[in-house]
Amino acid sequence: MSPTPSLPPKSFHLNCYMDPEPAALERLCQVIRIRGFRVLAMSAEQAEGAWSLSMTVAGIRPIEMLMSQIGKLTSVTQVNCSDSAPEAKQSA
Amino acid sequence: MNGAQHILEAFHRHSISTVFGYPGGCIMPLYDALVDDVCVEHVLCRHEQGCALAADGYARASGKLGVCIATSGPGATNLITGVANAHRDSIPMLVITGQVPSGLIGTDAFQETDVLGMTLGIVKHSYLIDDADSLPSIMEEAIELAQSGRPGPVWIDIPKDLLLSDVTDAPFPQTQNHSIETPDMNDALAMLRGARKPLLYSGGGISLAHAEDSFRAFAESAALPAVVTLKGIGNHGKHSAHNLGMLGLHGSRAANIAVDECDLLLVIGARLDDRATGRLDGFAPNARLIHIDADTAEFNKLRDADLAIRGDLNAILTSMADALQATPLAIGEWQKQCRTWHTAGGFQAADNEEPLAPITGPSFIRQLSRIAPDDTVIACDVGQHQMWVAQHYDFDHPRHHLTSGGLGTMGFGLPAAIGAQFADRNSTVINVAGDGSFMMNAQELATIRRYNLPVKLIVMDNQCLGMVRQQQELFYNNRESQINLDDNPDFVTMARAFDIPALHIERTDQIRRGIETILAYNGPMLLHVALSREENVWPIVKPGASNREMMDETQKTTLKRKETAA
Repeated sequence: MSPTPSLPPKSFHLNCYMDPEPAALERLCQVIRIRGFRVLAMSAEQAEGAWSLSMTVAGIRPIEMLMSQIGKLTSVTQVNCSDSAPEAKQSA
Repeated sequence: MNGAQHILEAFHRHSISTVFGYPGGCIMPLYDALVDDVCVEHVLCRHEQGCALAADGYARASGKLGVCIATSGPGATNLITGVANAHRDSIPMLVITGQVPSGLIGTDAFQETDVLGMTLGIVKHSYLIDDADSLPSIMEEAIELAQSGRPGPVWIDIPKDLLLSDVTDAPFPQTQNHSIETPDMNDALAMLRGARKPLLYSGGGISLAHAEDSFRAFAESAALPAVVTLKGIGNHGKHSAHNLGMLGLHGSRAANIAVDECDLLLVIGARLDDRATGRLDGFAPNARLIHIDADTAEFNKLRDADLAIRGDLNAILTSMADALQATPLAIGEWQKQCRTWHTAGGFQAADNEEPLAPITGPSFIRQLSRIAPDDTVIACDVGQHQMWVAQHYDFDHPRHHLTSGGLGTMGFGLPAAIGAQFADRNSTVINVAGDGSFMMNAQELATIRRYNLPVKLIVMDNQCLGMVRQQQELFYNNRESQINLDDNPDFVTMARAFDIPALHIERTDQIRRGIETILAYNGPMLLHVALSREENVWPIVKPGASNREMMDETQKTTLKRKETAA
């Protein structure tokens, strides 16, 4: 499914759980950026030996593509998209 | 045992017998442990990039894990291009680097770089060891991870003090066998049976999954007209009646027409790369698509699949072959049409009958293909020569064609050939290079000499960066910019400086003798082939165009005439 540059970015809420290894958060942010999304909001905490992350990301590509790439990270144990938020503003 | 000795212990456990590396400060404990090791052959290259690319070539040719080792700082950064190359082509690789001692990390210590941070995007996974006791389990995990699922490079960065620390004895972790259920292929078979013009499209995933034999059995029983990607070259062997050759940017007209005309595309072990598909909205416009791959992230990435199947390729292909053998597809008219296209629009290069004529790239590669043994491994560099090899060399197996597909790394071929020669010391290995690419890792001639590897080196020298020159000619109004290499060194003299004999050819009647001479020589030898500066690779698809709009030499001439008339 090719990206359609003419569409406005949409925002999505993701929940992600990761092993607390060095560079776990950098790895996640790197994938989000290179796959064409921006982080609009993010909160992270370590609990019971794992990172628990909640974030809002925006992009014009299908969120399924980003989720499948995040899901490939060895340190990610779970990722899901809880909703499809309203479209993000271009300047957001 | 200390950390360094545990690394070697892991090599022994996994029958890793050849590694490529370059020593330095922070990795010295591992090199010290190597002194006492008789099971692991360490190949000392002359640059860390050479180490990584040699490990890559070793992995591609052998199907085993490639291993490279370097020190911290510049040692690690020099590995990066080679590791990125492996990552883009999904090559199983283990990378081990020394890091400054734990207490000095983050203090800008001598030869400190944030290797973990700077390599995040070019590895399947990476580790910074912070506890020596974790090393044995991480080695096991890394070796398994690099080779499982969709393979790729895994990088372990180890502080020097942890290489020297005693590791607490603990039972070795057992690696888990991840079995994947064979998916139900009934829907795929129904789609195949319902299609009038089905086409098989295969890529590098076939050999990555070690599914060469089952693929060939399937392809023969299905008798589907077929195209291959750059990395899928060799999947069908030399004698397939149905293979239309490489598709895409420099693909055959027959392959691109068949993709354009088919009504079902069966994609196996390929990721629909932009060089293969051309403009996406013009790619296989009439086709439904079945996508079979080891990596679900490739499904629907660039083109929606009507049916996506992840699973073990060997099991899938065997199951489909059995079904199609029992009830073959009725696609006689389509097969006939594709054969007609292949006859008229396959890769063609007439042998020049004029003995004193200058050598052309395609005719040289065709002769090389006819003369070299069937199991010859060709390690290409990147550029025009790489495309001529892809178009005109007849490969019998995908592991015989080593090419940098995803990253397009100039300088890949020479170290990759070294790796391939270590994978099989008795095989015929040829590096086909351009003059630009050859100079990018020419220091590895010293490695060839040191180990007396019988690698044959062919430098196709057109005194310029030919692929860039070609694109400037065709798409930038012939405005040449920084492509001139007419001050190249004398490659024959250069090879001789490394104690490698060499000869020069420039005429058509010298091709056969030149090739036969280097192949017959018992040791490394270089053949310098002078080519015209103006030669182009045909056909070509203009950037941004769809594959059906591919240009050949005739169209270029027509364009020039129109420009002149205007």
